[in-house]
Amino acid sequence: MIDRRRADVRAGVALLAPAVLVLGALAAWPGVWVLWLSLQQRIPIFGIDRFIGLAHYRFLAGDARFWNAVRVTIVFSTVSVALELALGVAVALALQRLTRGRRLAVTLLLLPWALPSVVVGRAFEWLYHPSAGLVNFVLGGRAVNWLGEPALALPALIAADVWRTMPFVALLCYARVLGIPGEVYEAARVDGAGRLATVRAITLPLLRRVLLIALLFRTLDALRAFDLMFVLTGGGPASTTETLTVYAYRSLFQTLQLGFGGAIGVVVFALVMLVAWAYLRTMERPETTA
Amino acid sequence: MLVLALLVAVAGCAGGGEERGPVTLVFKHAKILGPADPVPELLREFERRHPGVRVKPESLSWNSDDQHQFFVINMEGRGAPFDVMMLDVVWVAEFARAGWLLDLSPWVSRDELAPHFPSTIEPATWNGRVWAMPWLMNVGMLYYRADLLARHGLSPPRTWEELLAQVTRVRAAERDARLDGVVWQGRQYEGLTVNALEALWANGARVLGDDGTPLPEPARAADALAFLRGLITSGASPSWVTAADEELSRRHFGDGRAIFLRNWPYAMDLFQQAGSAVRGKVGIAALPGRAGASEGVGASGGAHLGVDRRTRHPELAVALVRFLASAAAQRTMSVRGALNPTRMALYHDAEVLRAHPDFPVVYELMLRARPRPVTPYYLMLSTTLQPEFSAALVGVKTPSAAVAQARRRLVYLLEGLR
Amino acid sequence: MTGGRWRDAAVLALLALWAVPFFWQALTSLKPDAALRAVPPLMAAPPTLAHYRVVVERSVMPEALWNSFGVAVLTTVVALVLGVPGAYALARLPVPGKRALLLGIVACTAFPQITTVGPLFTALRALGLRDTWAALVLADTSFALPVVLWLLTGFVREIPIDVEEAAALDGAGRLGVLARVVLPLMTPGVVSAALLVFLMSWNEFLFAFTFTATEASRTVPVALALFPGVFEVPWGDIAAASMLASLPPIVIVIVLQRWLVRGLTAGALRE
Repeated sequence: MIDRRRADVRAGVALLAPAVLVLGALAAWPGVWVLWLSLQQRIPIFGIDRFIGLAHYRFLAGDARFWNAVRVTIVFSTVSVALELALGVAVALALQRLTRGRRLAVTLLLLPWALPSVVVGRAFEWLYHPSAGLVNFVLGGRAVNWLGEPALALPALIAADVWRTMPFVALLCYARVLGIPGEVYEAARVDGAGRLATVRAITLPLLRRVLLIALLFRTLDALRAFDLMFVLTGGGPASTTETLTVYAYRSLFQTLQLGFGGAIGVVVFALVMLVAWAYLRTMERPETTA
Repeated sequence: MLVLALLVAVAGCAGGGEERGPVTLVFKHAKILGPADPVPELLREFERRHPGVRVKPESLSWNSDDQHQFFVINMEGRGAPFDVMMLDVVWVAEFARAGWLLDLSPWVSRDELAPHFPSTIEPATWNGRVWAMPWLMNVGMLYYRADLLARHGLSPPRTWEELLAQVTRVRAAERDARLDGVVWQGRQYEGLTVNALEALWANGARVLGDDGTPLPEPARAADALAFLRGLITSGASPSWVTAADEELSRRHFGDGRAIFLRNWPYAMDLFQQAGSAVRGKVGIAALPGRAGASEGVGASGGAHLGVDRRTRHPELAVALVRFLASAAAQRTMSVRGALNPTRMALYHDAEVLRAHPDFPVVYELMLRARPRPVTPYYLMLSTTLQPEFSAALVGVKTPSAAVAQARRRLVYLLEGLR
Repeated sequence: MTGGRWRDAAVLALLALWAVPFFWQALTSLKPDAALRAVPPLMAAPPTLAHYRVVVERSVMPEALWNSFGVAVLTTVVALVLGVPGAYALARLPVPGKRALLLGIVACTAFPQITTVGPLFTALRALGLRDTWAALVLADTSFALPVVLWLLTGFVREIPIDVEEAAALDGAGRLGVLARVVLPLMTPGVVSAALLVFLMSWNEFLFAFTFTATEASRTVPVALALFPGVFEVPWGDIAAASMLASLPPIVIVIVLQRWLVRGLTAGALRE
């Protein structure tokens, strides 16, 4: 019996060790190393490499550009995720009543999600073009400079992001509602409940758990988002769409300031972990488990 | 694990290759702006003079920031080196400090640099050694619609205040709502730093003081930024200048849609092309200054030629550099293309003058051109300043706030570089 | 009921409307240059393949497509080779510290790429792996492997334990059970995981942009982001390049939809 168990443990370790080692080398170790980097002034091209403690963080604490990036990141994440969830549920509810053409529907739904973010970026760049873009044409022909006006760039970016991420939420919700047995709705109809009341009383509570999971995934993704804002606006105009990730990237690779850029990267990491932890704490409370 | 290692080894071989056969020099350069590209012909001539040598030109994005990022990411570590590189004049000190350039001092003496414009010699040397040879020259200048000014009896403005008055007058008279006053480059890239620097200099402000302090005249600097912002809010410049680069602004002026343009000399050839809407109507002048502050001065720009320190053929690479920077090659480039030589004598050369009758004026401007701060950390300075300048231009920050924050960031940056 | 038919059509139309940005880009890729800037009408001149010709013949996209394909396939292989045995171990075997390991692996899926890109850049530089497929495969594995582990652990748990116990009774060792009994049953899960990894690797931008330098290893998203435009942006060519860049994702969504959906929903619905 014990031999069997010991053999099992050995087998388990043997099967798992390669994966854990690789992950340790590629993900865990860089995650730790960046903490160390953030405490240094490290500019490889000039051979500058010295320990400076928390100087970068002290600077960031008083850096207007940093706080602007924090604001942009938070605004982007909350608005984007809120819209995705709301629209995703709506689309899922619409799909729920679909009798035929489900495969076509899912195809159309998943296309925006599956495309590379750079493709989405360039597509929306063209859509937002002041004179030749479809958006301005649909809006009546005024040459609105969506990506160049400080007040418009962030909403335009959020719209593009919601376009490509809403399908994920919709799909999750749709898969969930498909699992709701028809009899539940039958009973409600027999009781005389209207469509809206049905949704509110039955569908939404059953969707709650999936929505919470989608909320977690999407929020973490939005906080770490980089591709779309980098390609679509580059963080401009005048840093109005510069999230923490873009600020970090520019510091890291425009001038190879690995220490300073690393510090901003650590902040992003901390933010993501904080949100994940807060979420998991909330989930653990008994009232929220559906 | 073995499978993983094998896969990595196979994949590692998938990138990069090896060159065999005759000696091949790789010449990395940006796409040449303008109507013609005389470089391939020059390279063939070099090959004729050096049998058994092939020169392989590889072009880069024409955007200066992209080129720089490419070099920075590539100059580290192993990989097929380039032999000869076309370097923006502001990178030479940085690349020299980083140890990427071959020290040309054993081959090129200071005397050999003397025929070139003084403002090109300073960036070519660092720490007392020669790191690159001047190749192409640029200076910021004012283009104006000579026909429109003549029609109203105006001569090119000496101050910005004069320019604005002229803009108001001409626009009122021409009654063309689509005629813009002055267009320049305000997009958030190196071009913005150049435009902003010229505005600062015109107002008597600098980016770095003599002792290295950043922005030692903050009030004047803020006033200069406020002036640029004022050009947009007053309507003298269209609001899209904050997204404009050299080409966008050049095309606008070239379509006859603006009275004044700030740009580099290359644009003149394009304006004089057959079919251009402004052919024969364009004049050039020095950039205006601010009344009561300073004379206008154009920033110097251009390209130098450097050799990668890891080159396997140093003698040949240096020979190629000297060939391309020679008087004969520079003459060919200016006669056949819209490229301005760095050799002063060529501006009085008969053949060159036939192709560019405006060169005497350009020569005067180039003599007075002012280089951007020559420091290995120039790019870091510029990328730190760009967001602040951009924020002030677009109206997201007040100019004084932008200057104050720029100073704070520059102080921290320079401290870290010591 | 005809009412249902109308409703179906309305829902599909709504979804098609949502996908308009994609269709507009497809249309743009077929519009001749002269008609590009004229939005109305939709298609002024007859459609042309000129943009595709430019992209295929005169741009770096063909090489980029090859690079992307190679990197994505290799990443998928590596992630599966490491992840399948690892997931089985996590699901079935008494590995010491399993809870902590699981937590760590899940945490890895939440790692921001921007945090690890700096150290990875330094490490890859030191190893001389700049501008190679290997660099991208390693970088992509860092986020693909946790996803595979997490997904497949769940799939393995769904396999009824009696199947394995029956095989064990027949005298098969652990590895034998894994290979002969569990793996075939895991196939649907493995396919889903493979599709997700391929997609993630194909679409990946940040690492590819940072670790590649020339056409030797540039992937499709990077090539598309850097698509050259000397004077004016070549919108038609970019649209054509975008369509080519979207081919594998489109194929996966249309042809392999079932597996993709299963992979996407499995993780979320199970927890």
